[in-house]
Amino acid sequence: MVGLLDLASDRAYTARLAKRLSRQSYLASLSLGFIALAGAVIVAVNGHTRYSFFFISLALLFLVPAIWWKRYLNVLPIKGNGLTERLSAEVLANIDPKKELTPQVLWASLEKSWQTGFIYHHLLLSSEVVSLCIEHLDKSTIKSALDIAAVIADGVGSKLIEPGFVAAGLMLNSKDLGALLLEQKSKLEDIKTVSVWLGRNLVEFGDREKQKFGGIGRDWAFGYTPLLNKFGLNLSQSIMKDQIHFGWLTASRGVLAIEAALENHSRALAVIGQVGVGKTSNVYALAQRLIEGKTSGDLAFHELVMINATDIVSNVRRPGDIEYIMISLANEAAHAGHIILFLDDAEAFLTEGTGSFDGAKILQSIIGAGSVPIILALTPNGFQTIKARNPALASQITPIVLNEFSETDTLHVLEDTAVGLENKNKVLIAYEALTASYSLSGRYSSDEAYPGKAISLLSRSIPYSQGSVITRASIEAAVEDMYGVKVGSAHPAEAEELLNLEDRIHQQMINQDQAVSVVANALRRARAGVTNPHRPVGSFLFLGPTGVGKTELAKALASTYFKSVDNMIRLDMSEYQNPSDLNRLLSDGTNETKSLILSVRQKPFSVVLLDEIEKAHPSILNLLLQILDEGSLSDSQGRSVSFKDCVIIATSNAGAQSIRKRIEFNENINDFHDELIEELIKHNDFKPELINRFDEVVIFRPLQPDELARVVMLMLKEVNQTLSQQNITVSLTEAAINKIVEKGYDPTFGARPMRRVLQKAVEDTIAKKILSGEIKPGTNTNLDASDLTI
Amino acid sequence: MRVFLLWWYGDGWAAVAKSFNRRTANVAQVFSVNQLLSTLFAPWRRIITYPGASLEEKFRAWTDNIFSRTIGFVIRLFVLLTALIMTIFIAILTLIELIIWPLLPLGIIGGVVAGLLW
Repeated sequence: MVGLLDLASDRAYTARLAKRLSRQSYLASLSLGFIALAGAVIVAVNGHTRYSFFFISLALLFLVPAIWWKRYLNVLPIKGNGLTERLSAEVLANIDPKKELTPQVLWASLEKSWQTGFIYHHLLLSSEVVSLCIEHLDKSTIKSALDIAAVIADGVGSKLIEPGFVAAGLMLNSKDLGALLLEQKSKLEDIKTVSVWLGRNLVEFGDREKQKFGGIGRDWAFGYTPLLNKFGLNLSQSIMKDQIHFGWLTASRGVLAIEAALENHSRALAVIGQVGVGKTSNVYALAQRLIEGKTSGDLAFHELVMINATDIVSNVRRPGDIEYIMISLANEAAHAGHIILFLDDAEAFLTEGTGSFDGAKILQSIIGAGSVPIILALTPNGFQTIKARNPALASQITPIVLNEFSETDTLHVLEDTAVGLENKNKVLIAYEALTASYSLSGRYSSDEAYPGKAISLLSRSIPYSQGSVITRASIEAAVEDMYGVKVGSAHPAEAEELLNLEDRIHQQMINQDQAVSVVANALRRARAGVTNPHRPVGSFLFLGPTGVGKTELAKALASTYFKSVDNMIRLDMSEYQNPSDLNRLLSDGTNETKSLILSVRQKPFSVVLLDEIEKAHPSILNLLLQILDEGSLSDSQGRSVSFKDCVIIATSNAGAQSIRKRIEFNENINDFHDELIEELIKHNDFKPELINRFDEVVIFRPLQPDELARVVMLMLKEVNQTLSQQNITVSLTEAAINKIVEKGYDPTFGARPMRRVLQKAVEDTIAKKILSGEIKPGTNTNLDASDLTI
Repeated sequence: MRVFLLWWYGDGWAAVAKSFNRRTANVAQVFSVNQLLSTLFAPWRRIITYPGASLEEKFRAWTDNIFSRTIGFVIRLFVLLTALIMTIFIAILTLIELIIWPLLPLGIIGGVVAGLLW
C-alpha cells in the first residue's frame, strides 16, 4: 500500500499478471487447448477412452487460463470508484511494487505509452526534456497528479483513468515545464487541453466501435427511390459506407434543434447561418443520429438525401423538365416514407434560379403539399431575400439559426479535423497550430464564419509543414502567402531592415527626420508585437504645406516596408464631400471598383493614404474614427474587413500658413506642435476626438534650399533609372541643379512643381540629344545650366 | 489462484448469465426486430406513380401495393421467426454454458482422476 495507490491490491496484481501473460501466451494456450481436445476425440474414436480423459484434462489446463485471459485479464473491468480501481491496467502493470512510488517511478510507467507521446508531441516537447522536468518533482505531487488525471477522465466521460491523463497530471505539476512552454509561447494549461483532446478521441473511438445502423430489415418498409438515387446524394448511405463519424456534433444544440423541429412535424426547415458556420455538417450529423436510430421512433432510420439543383439543371433538355423532376423527387421521397430532402445552398435555387425556372414556385408547391420533410441551407441574407420576395413561402418555413461557434467549440472541431488531417497527410499538427488557425483566421478571413474559416486555414497550411510537423509558424506562413501580410516573428533580415528603416526611407525622401522616425518607430513596435493588435499598425496625421513630402513619405513607406508602391491605397478625400459618398467608400465592390473596403480586402497589408482629409464630409470622418478605434469596417453587406495590418496616413494642409510663418521665425516644430493642434481644433479644422485617435500628429516643415537640391538629385536618380535601359547616364552641374531648384520651387506648392520642371529640363533635353545622335548608348552626359531648356 | 477462483466462480459466472441479454439484443438488432414488428403489415418496397400517371397506372400501383403488403408480411414474419429461433438457440447455449462453466476448472483434475479410474 503506497498512499493513494494500492499496488498490493488484486487489481494491481492482476494487471501485472496480465502483462506477463501476453497475447502470445493466450494464443499459444488456446491453440494447445484445441490440439489437446482434438487429441481427446481421436483417442476416444480409436477406443482408448481412458487416455481421452487425460487429453480432456490437458485441454482444459490450457483452455481455462485462455478463457480467463480473454474475458478478464485482457479487459480488467473497473469495479469501484477508487483511484486504484479506475487506473488503467497499463499503468498499474508498469509500476514496480517493490520500489517507493515517486513521481519519477510513476513517470517511468507512463513514458512509453503512445498516449503520453500524443501529449508531448502535440506540445512540441521531447520525451527527454519532459523526463528532465519530472526529475525535479517531489513526492507530494503524486496526489495532485492523480487527482488531475481523475478530473480529466470525469471531464471527458471516461470511467477509466488513462495513462495519458496521469502523464498530464504529472506534467501539470512541473513548474520547469511551465517555464519551457512559456518560452514556446504556449501555456502550462495547454497540457490539460491536449489531454482532454486525447480523452475525447479515446471516448469517441469507443463510440465508433459501437456504431450500429439498424440491421437487415431496416429499409424493408420503405419504398424504392430510383430518381433520388440518380439526382441526390444519400448522406446516410455515405455515413454508413465511409464510416463517417461526427462525434460530439451529433448532440450539438443545432442538430437537436433540427431534430426537434422534424419531430414536431415541421415539413420545411431552413438551417440559417453564415458561410462556414457548419450548416451542411449539422445536417450530416443529423443524418448520423437518424441512421443510428438514436432518436424517437418516428424518425429512427430515416435517411437524408441531398439534392443538387445544378446536377438536375445540367441533366434536363427543357427548362420545364426541372419542375417535373423536382416534383417527382418530392413524390418519390414522400412515398418512400423515410426520406428527408436536403437542399444545400438553397439560396442559388430560390433567389436566382439556376436558369430559366422559378425555384421558389417549385419549392412552394412541394412545401405546400407537405408530403415530405425538406431542409434548406440558407445564409441570413438569403432568408431575408426570400422573406422580402416571397413572404408566403417564408411563412411556411421554420427557421433554425446556427450561431457562429465559440472559441472552445471551434477548437474542438479543429482537434477533430487535425486527427483526420494527420492520418491522411502523415503529419503531426501541434496544438499551437490549432490556436493559431483560430486566431489568425479570425483576423484575416472575414468572408467566412467559425469554424469553417479556421478549418480552411488549417487544411491549407499542410504544405507549409516543417519536417512533417505543422506548427504556429506553418500557419503564419500560410497566412502570409494567402493574404500578403506579415504575421510571424520578424526574421533576421527583416529585423535588420526594420532597425534601419529610417535610412532606407531617406534613400527616397529628403529630411523630415521627425516624421520618418515616428513612422519607423510605429512599424517597429507593431512587428515586435508590443502594440494593440486590434488597431491598425499605425495611424498618423501629416500636417504641413503642399510639396514638403507628406505623400512622398507614404510612398517611401509603401515601397520599402510594404515592398511595393502598389501596396498604397490612395484616396483623395476632396472627392468625398457629400454624405452620399459614404456608399462609394463602403461598397463591397459590386458597383464601385474604387471602394476603400474592396481595396483593403484585396490588399490587407498596405498603406492607406487619405489625402486632404479635412475636405471630407464629417460622416466620413466618423467612419475614420471607427477604423482607428476598432481596426475594422463593415461593408454594405455587413461583412467586416480588417485594417489591423494597415498603416493609416491622413494628410492635411490645414495650418500650413501658420507652420510656414513659425518656421520663418525660426521656431522649432516641437515647440509649437501642441499649440498648432489647439489652433486647428479651435478653428474647427478637426474635431478633438479625431485628432486624439491618431497615434501621432506629425508636422512637416517647408524644405530648405539645400534640401531642394537633394530632392533634385533624388529625382535625377529616377530619370537615370529609366535611361539605364538605353545605357545612358545623365549628371547635372551645380549651376544646372540651382537653375532647376529656382524654377521648380513655388512658395505655395513647395517642391511639387519640381518633378515637372526636371522632366521638362532634363528629359526633353536628353530626348533631343538622343534623336540628334549627340548622345549614344553607353555614354555619360553632364548637363550644365545652359543645356537645359526651361 | 485466489484471484482466478474469485473471478471464475463470481463475476465470470455472472457474466455468462448476463451474456444472454447482450446476445439477444444483438440478434434483435441484426434482424431489426423492432422495425419489423412495427411495420409487419406495411408494403414490401412501395411502388409509386409519378405526376401525370394515368388512372390505369394508379390502379395498377394500388393493386401492386396490396400484393406487396402480403409479400412484406410473409418475409418479415419469416425473419422474425428466424430471430426467435436464434434467441431460443442462444438461451439453450447460455444455459449449457452456465452449467458447464463451474465444472471446467474441476475438469482438469476430474479428467486425470477419471482416466486413472477407467
